[in-house]
Amino acid sequence: MLRVALTGLRANKLRVALTGVAIVVGVAFVTASFVFTDTIEARFERLFSEAARGVDVVVRPVRPEFTTGDPTEIGAFDASVLEIVRAVSGVAKAEGGVSGFAQLVDHDGNPIGGQGPPTLGFAWIDDPDLNPMEIRPGNGRAPLAADEIVVDSATASRHGLALGDEVTVITPQGLGRYRIVGIADFGEEESLAGATVTGFRLDEARRRFGLEGRFSEISVVAEPGVPPADLVAALEAILPDGVEAVTAEQATAEQLAEIADALGFLNVALLAFAGVAVFVGAFLIANTFRIIVAQRTRELALYRTIGATAAQVTRLVLVEAVAVAVVAAAVGIVGGVLLSEGLTTAMDALGFAIPDGPLTLRARTVVVGFAVGTIVTAAAALLPARRAGRIPPVAALRLDAVRPPRRSLRDRAQGGGALAAVGVALLGIGLFAGPPNPLAFVGLGAATLFVGIAVLGPFAVGPLTRALGWPLVRWFGAAGLLARENTRREPRRTAATASALMVGVALVVFVAILAASTKATVRASVLETFGADFTITSANFSAGIPRIVVEELAALPELDVVSAVVFDVAGVGDDTARLVAVDPKTIDGLVDLGTSGEVLARLATTPDGVAVAEPLAEREGVGIGDTITLAFPQLPDFPGRVVGIVESSDLGELVVTRATYDRGYLNRFDSMVLARAAGDLAEARRAVEAVVDPYANLRVQTKDEVVADAERQIDQLLALVTGLLFLAVVVAILGITNTLALSIIERTREIGLLRAVGMLRGQVRRMIRWEAVLIALFGALSGIATGILLGWAVVAALRDQGLRSFAVPTGQLAVLVAVAVIAGIVSAVYPGRRAARLDVLEAIAYE
Amino acid sequence: MTTTATTRIAARLVDATKIYGEGTAAVTALDGVDLAFEGARFTAIMGPSGSGKSTLLHCVAGLDVLTSGEAYLGDTALGSLSDRALTLLRRERVGFVFQAFNLIPTLTAAENILLPLLIARRAPDRAWFDHIVDTLGLGHRLDHRPAELSGGERQRVAAARALVTRPEIVFADEPSGNLDSRSGAELLGFLRRAVDDFGQTIVMVTHDPAAAAYADRVVFLDDGRVVDELEGPTAERILDRMKSLGG
Repeated sequence: MLRVALTGLRANKLRVALTGVAIVVGVAFVTASFVFTDTIEARFERLFSEAARGVDVVVRPVRPEFTTGDPTEIGAFDASVLEIVRAVSGVAKAEGGVSGFAQLVDHDGNPIGGQGPPTLGFAWIDDPDLNPMEIRPGNGRAPLAADEIVVDSATASRHGLALGDEVTVITPQGLGRYRIVGIADFGEEESLAGATVTGFRLDEARRRFGLEGRFSEISVVAEPGVPPADLVAALEAILPDGVEAVTAEQATAEQLAEIADALGFLNVALLAFAGVAVFVGAFLIANTFRIIVAQRTRELALYRTIGATAAQVTRLVLVEAVAVAVVAAAVGIVGGVLLSEGLTTAMDALGFAIPDGPLTLRARTVVVGFAVGTIVTAAAALLPARRAGRIPPVAALRLDAVRPPRRSLRDRAQGGGALAAVGVALLGIGLFAGPPNPLAFVGLGAATLFVGIAVLGPFAVGPLTRALGWPLVRWFGAAGLLARENTRREPRRTAATASALMVGVALVVFVAILAASTKATVRASVLETFGADFTITSANFSAGIPRIVVEELAALPELDVVSAVVFDVAGVGDDTARLVAVDPKTIDGLVDLGTSGEVLARLATTPDGVAVAEPLAEREGVGIGDTITLAFPQLPDFPGRVVGIVESSDLGELVVTRATYDRGYLNRFDSMVLARAAGDLAEARRAVEAVVDPYANLRVQTKDEVVADAERQIDQLLALVTGLLFLAVVVAILGITNTLALSIIERTREIGLLRAVGMLRGQVRRMIRWEAVLIALFGALSGIATGILLGWAVVAALRDQGLRSFAVPTGQLAVLVAVAVIAGIVSAVYPGRRAARLDVLEAIAYE
Repeated sequence: MTTTATTRIAARLVDATKIYGEGTAAVTALDGVDLAFEGARFTAIMGPSGSGKSTLLHCVAGLDVLTSGEAYLGDTALGSLSDRALTLLRRERVGFVFQAFNLIPTLTAAENILLPLLIARRAPDRAWFDHIVDTLGLGHRLDHRPAELSGGERQRVAAARALVTRPEIVFADEPSGNLDSRSGAELLGFLRRAVDDFGQTIVMVTHDPAAAAYADRVVFLDDGRVVDELEGPTAERILDRMKSLGG
């Protein structure tokens, strides 16, 4: 039977290849996701071990129980600890260092880095054994004076920085001019994961980061023969509270986990796209096998007449499917390896330097790739295969097509309805009931809903194609009429073919709605919330606004009021809450935090005062005058006095003074400065620009510019996601091509007849084209409807998270419909050409 | 209609030869056939299986191309025409009735009848359409699809489609081959009337003497050659002639 199956495949190379494409795409994404993650892990492990080479033990502050992800918050300890460490027996050498955020400015005045990987500054350690960086011969020397720095070699070469160049560095203390005296590498690597790294002299670094008399880390080399673990134990015994010792190995593992965490979203994204590709592919596979089985009815019935059992015929079809899947999965795995190589290159280009090295392809990845490919294919082909088993032997003997009994329409309506209902229920639970992992519920619910809609699809084919088809009939005569009727003759086939496109389009629409709703929310929120004429923000995710900027702005006569705000996160119970630190004396009217002037006044006068947003206050069960215990990185049990319950705002759930913030956090960068002009707006702006200009990472924006900026960022993300989802659309187009190519084989005689009675080749092509366009439109419209439904549900669920507007991007939907029409036209090119080239005589031969 | 129109030649073959395949596998389907079909007459082509009668029909109808010699429809030589020109010629000047699978299953009877006009995007002559439909007794079946029609009705729809464009010539290939005798007689009677009443030219391939008896003239084909002819045939005379040819 296996040989029979394989012969069948050889005879149908094209449709097999088209079916395989879907599996290839899905498996490629799954493989890429694993290879990419494994590769990054392996390469960073090498990089970090390289960087930590020679260091055996690291002494560092005990990590606060609650951290915000800001390395500054991990803290620092008194410099005297270094002497304690050096005195411990078994310690060969030890050196202390400090680190913080620093923004380098290039020669054109533009900020360097900060859009992804952090911009770090640290104290240069002269002992090469204890310094992760090394200056190779010819690359200069270590900084000897306060105005000398070392930069990492990737940053230097990328931004044209050379030895002897004067550059500006921005830190929480403001601007500084430095001369580059050294360019350093990390062992074999030029970059530490793309971070921009600046090395200062120790005293200068301390001054820049406000860490005078302190260290943030001590690197220790053990005496020969002393195991690091023993040294850790010895150190732990005498280190003061709040300082700990760990092996360098453990510190590396932690760093690795952080990188993996930071890039985890990519892994999730890749797996999500893999899921979409595999899911859409499954529709395509099921449909193709359904048609192949229908066309091979007589052949399959012949096997029955010569003694094959129903189970054997079913198996025959399944074996064919699995054989395709195995080959396609192999291609997909190769494709996935290439894709992950491409991803690494793309990440490099985006500034996330991924260390060089080979790709890591583990046996597990290959196994998963083959498993996904074969299991999905076999599952998708199962129903058509069982249908093949039900073909009666008599079908081989009859001229007219004997088809196995179909399930009744009522069964289909009930089954599809039930699936859709289950899907909606799962979605509802995931979105509104707050289960432990809502994403799984939402994903599964959406998938079930898609299948349900696909099952119900045939019922919509009749009315929809009638409506969509009338212009075709009107404008394109016989070709239009025949195209419309062809989509209606087998509603199941039309609906199944369109299903793949439906899923792809629904996801594109869903993402577009989410983006549009977010944009609308941001617009409304910014316009309602901000009373200031200007906002000053940082383009760098890690380095913010130095405090001196606020002071300089406050001194400008062109400005009426200036107020600085910090956005951060605080711990509340087991959860976190968004925190805003403000100056209560100046903030009123500049930005709406839900606080009234009265609350702000109380905040200004009450020590440890906190204003709490209503939902949070309700959750924690606190009222005015109560105490709410908050966790700040530097104050794990801060007893906040509730001075006001305020309306929920988009900016934060907790409002504290900047004085309170400074006690709880080490960060000294502000997140945003708000200003109101005293008189002429343009004049005020010029004055503000003049102050802010030297700070390359800062930008001055009006409300409208803030909105436009946010919208641009959302659009960029939308474009990326849509681009990836279009892969699903491409797979769907292949599905239409496949179905049409198979249908044309069935309709050979019909096309011959049309040609005989005078249909031109061009008209035949047009007929196929419009049929494809109708199928594509059917898929696109049902996809748009489903996508709007999904988008509406998710937006409604995120209302609590501040997504207040629901917006349908009609322009984008119109574009999508146009894309569907074009997709239909493209998918019909090959089948149309085949149909037009059919030999009339052979087609009408009926002997 | 008077018989004076019979002098017009609707289609003809001049030294027509058609060879399928090459070398040792070559089969000569038509072997130097010279034959003319007069206008407004009903000609039947008879011959045993493999005698080349279908090939002859296909070649003179512009569905197939001769290996040598020439086929003319009216004064148009078909040999030099492109696929496009042949298609337009079939659409505008020729009607077809095949043995089976004459109709597009997704279209109604009316749409099937009007198909050549739909393809040509020409407005139908309503009165002519009604006349044909009436004559063929299809009025009450116009909205039905082929699957809902009987075999006889399907062939009558095919005949209506062949006539609706008022073609110069109608080619019928075993039109009654799949019908029971009553339906077959009805269809052939209608074709006869089309010749008598409308002056339609019809060329029909058949192996059934009873069907051929409806024609004005019978041409006998064997091994790709015209071997005999009969004017004003009856079934008995055809049978006699076939016997003598077979012997």
